[in-house]
Amino acid sequence: MRTRTSPGPWFAAPVAVFMLLCFAAPILIVTWYSLMPSRTFDLTGALTTENYRAAFTEGYTRPLLWSLLGAATTTVITALLAWPTAVILHRYAGKWASVTSALIALPIFISESVRLFGMSVFLMPRGGILAGSLNAVFGIQIGSILNTWAAAQLGMIYIHLPFMLFPLLLGVSLIPADRIEAARDLGASRWQTFREVELPLAAPGLLIGALLTFVLCLGANAEAAILGGRAVTVITAAIEQRFNYAQDWPMGAALTVLVILVTALIVLPVLSRLDLNKLTRR
Amino acid sequence: MTPAEDVSNGRPVILSLAGLSKSFGSLKAVDDISLDIPEGEFLTIVGPSGSGKSTLVRLLAGLETPSGGDLFLREARITDHPANKRPTAMVFQSLALFDHRTVGQNIEFAMKMKGVPAAQRRQRALELLSLVRLPEAYYTRPVTQCSGGERQRVALARAFASEPEILFFDEPLSAIDYRLRKTLEVELKELHQRTRRTFVYITHSLEEAMVMSDRIAIMQDGRIVQTGTPAEIYGAPANRFVASFMGEVNILTVERGAAGGATFAEIGQPAEAPRGAYAMIRPEALALGDGPVTAQLEVTQRLLLGSRTQVHLVAPSGATLISELPGSAPELQIGTRHAFSFAPADIAWMET
Repeated sequence: MRTRTSPGPWFAAPVAVFMLLCFAAPILIVTWYSLMPSRTFDLTGALTTENYRAAFTEGYTRPLLWSLLGAATTTVITALLAWPTAVILHRYAGKWASVTSALIALPIFISESVRLFGMSVFLMPRGGILAGSLNAVFGIQIGSILNTWAAAQLGMIYIHLPFMLFPLLLGVSLIPADRIEAARDLGASRWQTFREVELPLAAPGLLIGALLTFVLCLGANAEAAILGGRAVTVITAAIEQRFNYAQDWPMGAALTVLVILVTALIVLPVLSRLDLNKLTRR
Repeated sequence: MTPAEDVSNGRPVILSLAGLSKSFGSLKAVDDISLDIPEGEFLTIVGPSGSGKSTLVRLLAGLETPSGGDLFLREARITDHPANKRPTAMVFQSLALFDHRTVGQNIEFAMKMKGVPAAQRRQRALELLSLVRLPEAYYTRPVTQCSGGERQRVALARAFASEPEILFFDEPLSAIDYRLRKTLEVELKELHQRTRRTFVYITHSLEEAMVMSDRIAIMQDGRIVQTGTPAEIYGAPANRFVASFMGEVNILTVERGAAGGATFAEIGQPAEAPRGAYAMIRPEALALGDGPVTAQLEVTQRLLLGSRTQVHLVAPSGATLISELPGSAPELQIGTRHAFSFAPADIAWMET
């Protein structure tokens, strides 16, 4: 029999209200705006899908593809860099593991823009830290990748490595050493052991790291702006332009909704395969 | 010692250890062990924790690299071969089952690594399931849904699936309850008799070793102190360490002041001259009533062990002894005095 004094809904109420106001409502408003006529600033206009048609016909596909490509490349490269790092930290670093982890985590506390401008100074041609030092010490003269897509990509990898590394460190710690030994004992080569045992066992950590990195990169803007010198336009830059310079809120809203949809299409299937209990059991 | 030397009944030596050593820093975990294992033998290496027995079996399986000495498999030197290049398989203490896979996938692992086709793998896995007495329906079951005993069997089947020439067991039964352990001990012995493979089993329990093995090697501080058949070790332990390892025994010293409990003189005159520094008398050899060597002893404790009764005894000199008698021995109440005796033939003499 259901009792009238069940406390569950009351305890859930604050969170439910918060989610409604700060999560559901903004999405609803943005979605509504995306259906308004171009360059209007109220929500009372006639509903139209014109903005969505424009999104696909007026050259917004390229920025979206650049963003997706950047996010995918960053996710793959940070994973490739973070796996051996995590394995070394977990298995061999011993007492140095926490110090090293702290050093890797420390830059997160510094503003992303500050770090990117630092990187920009590092990469500058002629008098930049890298080019200038090489010239002064070794007499080697190099060009610079600053203001290219490559620099933006480098910045994205640099900024997002910790977001891959720490979940992966958790994932690698889920691999018991005896499972690796058992696989080796049963005739598995190093590569087979990695593919059959280490990768599946560390998968929860790897998936969380990949999701974090991918989603953060999809929303990243500063790398392309500061290091890439707007050599390419990413989707977040395009959205910002719509809202700020173009004063076309409905168009910006339509692009935003599209990014949310694309993100959800990629993230939700991965998330549904993730068993968070596996991570928290140990 | 040459690797090819025969040690038992003309059976060829399958695995030969020549001065095998492993040090961790200043600790010599395995200290210069030489041992020949004949093909088809069930050899059990027994030792207390810290005796180096686990390190020894890891050296044999290729999971550790030795600091010194050599290892020969059928006369071929395999000292530097990694674990995946050795035709051996290990059943781990933790079992080390792949929890992210099903029972069938666990069993098929070694075959999959070798590139055996799926249909053939499945057929062999089903055969192995019946070998370890698991129903075929377990093939698709996740190992996480198996009970402790079932997991043991899966681990065993997985090790067998690699068609190993030698199977290593690193205390796989140490974490399970007594009844199941007894069942699995017998099953393992039967499995050995049926398959005629070479088994090298590691345990801290001499009782377990006695039940299963053809031959027992006893390890202490990284060295093997005695090897022999269960009967040889039971009848003539090499030293007090081996004797005390077999459970509660009476160890008498010939000279006062040496380590150990009572001296010989304290419980009565020996019928013959001592043939060692220490004498071991099993509790069941110390019987009620007069005999060749008799002592008047007072009961200080009585413990019912089911089919037997154990009594703790004290001699007038204060020396303590243990005796085990069949049945409930109702006359042996605490505080009563009785004549106990043993035959000189029941004494196992030891020098150290």
